Amino acid sequence: MNSATPATADPLLDRKLLEKLERLTVRWRKSFAGLVGGHNISRFSGPGQEFLDHRHFHQGDDLRAVNWRAYMRLEKLFLKMFQVEPRVPIRMLLDTSGSMITGESDKFLYAQRLAAALCYIGLVRLDTICIQPFASHLHDSFLCGGGRHRFVPAMHFLTGLKPTGASDFLAVTRQFVANYPQRGLLIVISDFLDEGDCLKALQYLSDFGHELMLIQLWADEDRTPPWDGELDLEDAETGAKLQLTFDASARELYAKSFDEYADAIERVAMRNDGRYVGISTSLSLEEAIFGPIIQTRVVQ
Amino acid sequence: MNFINLSLGELVAIFSGISALMVTLYLLDRSRRKQVVATLRFWTHAESNTELRQRRRIQQPWSLVLQLLSMALLLLAIAQIQWGSLERNAHDHVLILDTSAWTGARTARGTIMDDERLAALAWVRSLPSSDRVLLVRADGLATPATVMESRHAAVENAIRDSRPSSSALNLDQAIEFAKRAQHQGRQSGEIVYAGPGRLASDESASSPLPSNLRVLTINKPLENCGIRRIGLRRSGSGSGEWEVFLSTRNYGTVEKVAQLAVQFGGAPIGNRTLTLKPNAEQETVFPLRTKAAGLIEARLINNDAFADDNRAVLEVPEQKAMRVIAYTDEPEQLRPVLAANSRLTAQFRATAAYDPSPDADVVILDRFVPQQPPKLPSVWIEPPAQRSPVKVKTVAATAKLSRWNNDHELGQGLRTKDVDLANSEIFTPADGDVVVAESDHGPVILARPSSKLIVLGFSPTRSAMKYELATPLLFANLLRWVRPELFRRWELNGGTVGPVETEIGKHVDPSAVHVISENGKAVPYTINDGRLRFFAGLPGTVRVQTGDREIVYSLTLPEVGVAAWNVPATVRRGIPTFRVTESPVKDLWPWLAFLGAAGLFADWILFGRGRRAGRVAHVPARASQRVLQKRAS
Repeated sequence: MNSATPATADPLLDRKLLEKLERLTVRWRKSFAGLVGGHNISRFSGPGQEFLDHRHFHQGDDLRAVNWRAYMRLEKLFLKMFQVEPRVPIRMLLDTSGSMITGESDKFLYAQRLAAALCYIGLVRLDTICIQPFASHLHDSFLCGGGRHRFVPAMHFLTGLKPTGASDFLAVTRQFVANYPQRGLLIVISDFLDEGDCLKALQYLSDFGHELMLIQLWADEDRTPPWDGELDLEDAETGAKLQLTFDASARELYAKSFDEYADAIERVAMRNDGRYVGISTSLSLEEAIFGPIIQTRVVQ
Repeated sequence: MNFINLSLGELVAIFSGISALMVTLYLLDRSRRKQVVATLRFWTHAESNTELRQRRRIQQPWSLVLQLLSMALLLLAIAQIQWGSLERNAHDHVLILDTSAWTGARTARGTIMDDERLAALAWVRSLPSSDRVLLVRADGLATPATVMESRHAAVENAIRDSRPSSSALNLDQAIEFAKRAQHQGRQSGEIVYAGPGRLASDESASSPLPSNLRVLTINKPLENCGIRRIGLRRSGSGSGEWEVFLSTRNYGTVEKVAQLAVQFGGAPIGNRTLTLKPNAEQETVFPLRTKAAGLIEARLINNDAFADDNRAVLEVPEQKAMRVIAYTDEPEQLRPVLAANSRLTAQFRATAAYDPSPDADVVILDRFVPQQPPKLPSVWIEPPAQRSPVKVKTVAATAKLSRWNNDHELGQGLRTKDVDLANSEIFTPADGDVVVAESDHGPVILARPSSKLIVLGFSPTRSAMKYELATPLLFANLLRWVRPELFRRWELNGGTVGPVETEIGKHVDPSAVHVISENGKAVPYTINDGRLRFFAGLPGTVRVQTGDREIVYSLTLPEVGVAAWNVPATVRRGIPTFRVTESPVKDLWPWLAFLGAAGLFADWILFGRGRRAGRVAHVPARASQRVLQKRAS
């Protein structure tokens, strides 16, 4: 996956939406180790400004952290511990498989815009954002941080992505864990329509220590196909074919099956202290961010 | 049961075609649809439920049945099916209603047309309701007023709307039209003529009559006198002298005395008492002296049944004279030549009083070349060689006139030869110049069409030519070539509406012939053996232009038939009594059309796309999504 920079392409987000996004912040629940400099408090002690606790002094501890007032009164050495505010990278796994461009509504464009919005929110708060496209494997990533002025290259990177190929969550997970040992917030933007076991891969990521934020996108025809009668179907990723007759009762079964699958993904996220949101592309991006996404408290 | 618009075979054939098309479209609409989807994961769950139905080709048989039934109902409505026991031998009749000019004549109860309408309505009402009637209005032309109509009310309305026209009856043409119309329908009924039977000529009823002819006799007035023609021609005595000639006719059977009065522009110009012999025409001529335009109105004062032909009007055009100014120091030389033509007025001025743009049509420059050439068409007589408008090759002391260009209109009719011309200028023609006359040394008269300029190398009134007949003819040709519209020959004729025939001569170029109505539209015409024929169906003015001649027909008089039709004794007459054997017929097509439309609407509601869209919308949103959407709102 290459990342061309089309300078003349239409911007993914307009100015009005960007202005609204500036008051938001990306939040996570878990405590992650990392360099000082972030705005999320960690339960790990370390260099910081806020006092956390005392403990007995051991040989080799930094004498600068000894509570000398307590020593003068009690003649025992106590060491002051401080709460660390680590800089934790935010990683976004963006699905670029072929299933993202089927149907009348463009799921991939929606995913691009959503990723751009989250990237902008992080950049405004001086977070470090890593955009990692994937399909059957990880593609070239894009790392940005240091302020909103780094948003334009990120947007160009997102605009240059081209969806193709089949998705393989297990392979991608293995590669991701190997490439990124540091734990952190992991936002997955995908339709999760993988022929393999997507749930197992997500569980593996969570077990590794990442905090999952799963954003499932679907077009209306993905959940309630509008067609009737004899259908000759072809899978957009694998090319597999299926012939069947479709009617109202079959549509209900289809929707039920889809909902069960989405519930299973949601259960994986909730079970691992992560978050899940399912968004139909018929919902506008602004409504999606300030509605379902903000309610998951991943942005506040 | 009866089909009005379609036969049973046509109905079956059309329905078969539509059915085949509908079944094809139905199967195409329900054919397997190719669709690329994001995943097949969820489709496999839906597949098990519909597995048994995969082999069924027609998914919604009731939809197809409903569509076919609706189309059948609509087709039956178009075929205009009627319910009732129609008699098998229903007939097609043709009613010829005489609308010739004579039907406007007065009777004791109104006009002949009123009596005709009553008779025709009585005949229509006597017909069985299953019979169809075609109404033909007959005058100079036979014009169908309805189709072969089964709704007798429509025929009755068309009869009531009929009005007298301006032309005379051509019965042969009307009956021939009726016979052809009957051959196209089902069983032939009667051809019925309703009218007074006054024909344009004896030849208008010369063909054999059909055996199914019926005549509804109208009592007609016989006594009538009227103006047949009015004309205007130039009198030979001088300019502005006219002769108004009038042709009057007594159409009746007894001698009549009538007063004929003629006015021009409201002023009386003549009054005669005429004794008109029965069935004969009489010509009367009135002199008229005028150069102004105006209307000539002739009135035949008598009290007869038909008033429309007692008045005739003719428009007289303005008589414009050509204005000629001759710049000459010897006017007495030119005066005899120009004074000989009554259509021009000549002024003679000295060369010192030259004006380059005088108020005239033509300028003559006699042995004089001005500083500034005239801006009008001009005739130059023997101009000085140094400043001549045409290059002078030489001046011949003695030249002999040898040839006239008779092919050009400037040289038409000029035959004089071997005339000795002293000191004549010999010209060198430029491109486009026309040589009118040549001497043994070269051209002596030239014309330049681009600037309407004519140059004479000698003076005809001073040379030996002044004794020749060619001299006034040459001047007449020169002036007519310069302004041909002022010399156009006019003929004014007033007459009756109908066919018009006029002699135009065998040598007239057909491309130069134009026949134009008063609103500027071309009137169709034929030319055969030097005779031009056209037909005027409405009163008005028609102009026939043939080169330098214009004939104006003021066709304001109605064409009154001159011959009475003697109906043979074998022809049936009066209102017949038809045997009514059928029950009242009911039209079913409105109900069928309503049912067909309702069926198609029901199919759209039950099985159409609206229904499919409704089914898609019926699937509920995801439970979690509903909660989120609720919170978002």
